[in-house]
Order: sequence, then structure tokens, then C-alpha cells
Amino acid sequence: MKLRKVSILAAFASLLVLTGCAQDPTVEVSGAWVRASDFSDHVGGMTGAFMEIKNNGSETITLVGGSAEIAGKVEIHEIVMSGGEMVMQLKDGGISIEPGATHVLEMGGDHVMLMDLKQPIVAGDVLSVTLDFEGAEDLTLTDLVAKPSDGGDETYHEEDHNH
Amino acid sequence: MVSRRSFLASSAAAAASAAAGLGVGATAATQLAQSQAETATASRALKFEGAHQMGIETPIQAVTNMVAFDILEGTTLADMRRWMFLLTDDIRKMSEGEPVLADPAPELSIGAARFSAYVGFGPSLFRKLGIEDRMPAGLIDLPAFSIDALKEEFSGGDVLIHVAADDPVVLSHSVRNLVRDSLPFSTVRWNQAGFSHSPGMVPEGVTHRNLMGQVDGTANPALDSQDFDDLVWIKDGPAWIQGGTLMVFRRIAMQLDTWDQLSSVGKGEVIGRTLKDGAPLTGTKESDLPDFDARSASGLRVIPEFAHIRRASDSGKGERIFRRPFSYEMPITKEGSMDVGLLWCAYQRNIEQQYLPMQLRLAELDLLNRWTLPIGSATFAIPKGVSGEEVIAEGLFS
Repeated sequence: MKLRKVSILAAFASLLVLTGCAQDPTVEVSGAWVRASDFSDHVGGMTGAFMEIKNNGSETITLVGGSAEIAGKVEIHEIVMSGGEMVMQLKDGGISIEPGATHVLEMGGDHVMLMDLKQPIVAGDVLSVTLDFEGAEDLTLTDLVAKPSDGGDETYHEEDHNH
Repeated sequence: MVSRRSFLASSAAAAASAAAGLGVGATAATQLAQSQAETATASRALKFEGAHQMGIETPIQAVTNMVAFDILEGTTLADMRRWMFLLTDDIRKMSEGEPVLADPAPELSIGAARFSAYVGFGPSLFRKLGIEDRMPAGLIDLPAFSIDALKEEFSGGDVLIHVAADDPVVLSHSVRNLVRDSLPFSTVRWNQAGFSHSPGMVPEGVTHRNLMGQVDGTANPALDSQDFDDLVWIKDGPAWIQGGTLMVFRRIAMQLDTWDQLSSVGKGEVIGRTLKDGAPLTGTKESDLPDFDARSASGLRVIPEFAHIRRASDSGKGERIFRRPFSYEMPITKEGSMDVGLLWCAYQRNIEQQYLPMQLRLAELDLLNRWTLPIGSATFAIPKGVSGEEVIAEGLFS
């Protein structure tokens, strides 16, 4: 698990998540955004959501899936080396985050995939996505901003993901 | 939450102390002060929120890039709202020295370095969107002046984002972020980069000189003065422009090769101020008001009829503006000619009333015209500032 020190230190004030308690919420999401691109700008399209997820609880939590009004399907994906190529695929077992740890979902790595879009996602859109956890309550992100991004390997791989 | 700056400062201090093998409190404090002084430029930040957009009523920064965009065909008002939403969030974050959302290079966010950015809209934008009726009074396309030698590549533009900072790397990173978030809506029409002094060169309040050596900005209204407020900030019209202003931009090329052939005295006659200290030819210090009636023993006016400051002076009808020019420099020719000039930016409530009559007088007669050439031109409406959840140009594109 790669810790991006720079991202942690940055004051990402845009996304705060509350589970209704006065103390530190179990799951803290920051810097969340969704990618607007040629792949997302039409019905039936798809795109990735990226963020940092911190587990403030005392037990391991696992991000296993999600849901969104705008997407027919929400899955957790990873990028792996397969046959000499970087390939995107469903992440078996989801993303486990140990107590106190932060997991970075970023381009070229683990991410949330929004698929079978019911509406286009274009730059400047604001979406709602619910994250499905084992070991923690579901979490709805209501301020997910769509930002334009060329990405690196993302474009290349979105056409051949394996399920 | 630990901010990057305090983290870096404390870690630098810790490193310095460790290196010196210290336990002595006083020396550790000195080390900390020294490392903080080393990043003083990085840590200075300007306020994003307020009645006005940032970067206008502000002491000038060291480097700038003015980027003009033309909207893509078929751009709608909804598209403009989404574009402004992205820019507002980007500018807010960068004003604090923080990476933008989805910043591909967050490691370049090493401090605000007095970053500022403001957004403006040219008359062409209102026409293309079919909202000419929303153009503020006094925003016009400038007429062609007799002195003009305008090039398309430096002129016009639907949308302007004017970025500035005290550090060129912070500027570059900031501009890259703003351009990337603008590309879904537009193409880049032009960008014009420029500079002023580095921090730590000229005390605040001292008028800068331009590359012709002239003290440039003496007659400006003072920042934060009532005079400035009266001249620059719009008080009426639709809500989105109240607290905003209108901008005139001119790219003015300087003919330094021939200018440098003039004597110091000659240069003073052209401007109407001595080169040495910027005092009017009738005065002894920069702050003296020029006496346009004074004559010398020979009977000729001390400040010549053709002098720049005489021709530019207010004819009594409130023709006063706020000027905030940067210098530009382009590649040196093989013959050693320096291609330099001004990114001349002026702000006023009403272009027709405050700027136009003066520019017509200068075009008609101004000896300085022999050494300056306007090669770019544009006008923009600058919306008011934002606070809270507001977005730049809130209400304009509804």
C-alpha cells in the first residue's frame, strides 16, 4: 500500500464525511473526484472515481462495492500487470484498509468504477456516489466533482477490462 | 490537521537542530527563523474571498501569465456555469498554496507565493452566447486608433484568466491547472507572459519602473483608497458586476534601440517627468503635481505640448484609470534587438468615459508614440468577487 505523503498533508477541505457522531468518523474520505472524459460523456459510458480513504476505526474495513443513481453498475477495480501489459480488472475481495491506515485510489491503481452510465458525466458535474463497506457503514459522497483528465494508462485500458 | 507549511517549517527546523547537534533553545529559534525566512516568499498568501476578485487591488507580483480562451462552438450557459464552478474551486485552493482537486502534480504546491487569478469576459463572449443584453454599460470593443499595429495573436478573446504569483514555478503549475480545467469548454486563443520585480527588490509603495526606465504609475489611485474605489469598482448594474470592473488590455511594444539613443534630458521631455526620480519637469519630487501652465524663460511650456503626461492627463471629466502594467520580453533578435514592452492593464468603472477620451488624445499627439507601438488589444468585464459557496460570475450565466 503506497502512502502518498504529499496528498495527506494537503488540506483537502472539499470532502468531509460524517457518520453522525461527534468524534472522528470511522471512514474518512478526502480529495475525491471523478474523471470526465470521452469515455464518460455519453449514456452507456464509464469512468473512474478516485480518492483517499482513511480508516479511523479499530477494525479492518473493506470497500466491496458501491452504487450511484447515475451508474447502472459500480465496482471496485484494480490495475495489474498481466502478460506484459497493464490491465484493469475487478478487484477480488475489494479493498481492505487496516485500522489507522489510508488507502489511495488513484489513476493507474485501485479505483471505483462507475459503469453503464445513465447520463453523461462531463467536466464540472457534481455527483453522488455511495460506497459499500464491510466493517463500516455505507458512506454517501454527495459532492463528487467531475474533473477533466487525460490519465495515463486509464484510456488504454478501459476498452479491455476483464470481468 | 497539519498544514504543509507548518510541517515543512518544523521539519526544517528539526533537521537544522539535529545537524548542529543542538540542545540550546536560542540557537534553535534562530535556525527556525532562518528557515522560515528562506521560504518567506512561498508562505505569503492573498485572500481569495471578498467583494472583488483577487489580483487587481493588489501590490504587483513578480510574474504573470494572461491566458485568453475562445469558447467551443455550441457552448451553452450551463457549460459556462460548470466551467466557472471548476475555476472557482481551483483558484480558491491555489490561493492557499494547495493543490487543486485531481492535481497531477501536487508536489509542486510548495506555497501560495502570492498567487492570484481573476476571470474576465470579452464582448465577443456575450455575442456568441446571445446575451449581449447582459453586457455591462461602458464595456466596448475599442475603436481602431491611428497608432495601432494590432496583431490577432495578441488581441481579443472570449474569456480571460489572468494569473500572477511571486514565483515562476508556482505560476507555471497554476496556469497548467487552470488551462486543463478550461479545455473541455474552450481553446486557448493566446497567452501573454510577463514580469515585474522579484520580492525583496523594491519597497512597497515605491513606484516601479518599466523597461524604458520610466517611473510608471505615479498618478495611479492608491490601493485601498476611496479614490481607487470610486474609479475602479462598479457600483451599479446587474448583481454579478457590482464589485467588479472593466479592463482594457494593450500589448505595447517598446522601440528600445532608438529610445536608448535619446539623452536623459530628451527622455524626460518626451514623458514630462525626469527619468531620475519621476518628478514632473515642473517639480522636484515624484509626488509633486505637474504644473501644465508653467512656462520657462523662453516662453515655451516647461512640460511640452507633446509630452506623455500632459496628453494623458484628465481633461476634467474624470478620465482617470488604475494602471497595473507588467513587462514582457521575447527572444532577442540576431541583430541584438530586444523585443520588449508592456502588458498594459487598466481598470476602470467605465471604459467609454474614463479611458477612451484619453487614449484618443494620446493617439492624436504624444511624442512617446515614436517609441511605443500597440500590437495587441482587448477589453474584458471582470465580475465581482465571491464568498462562501458562490461561483465566479454567479448569476451571469443563468
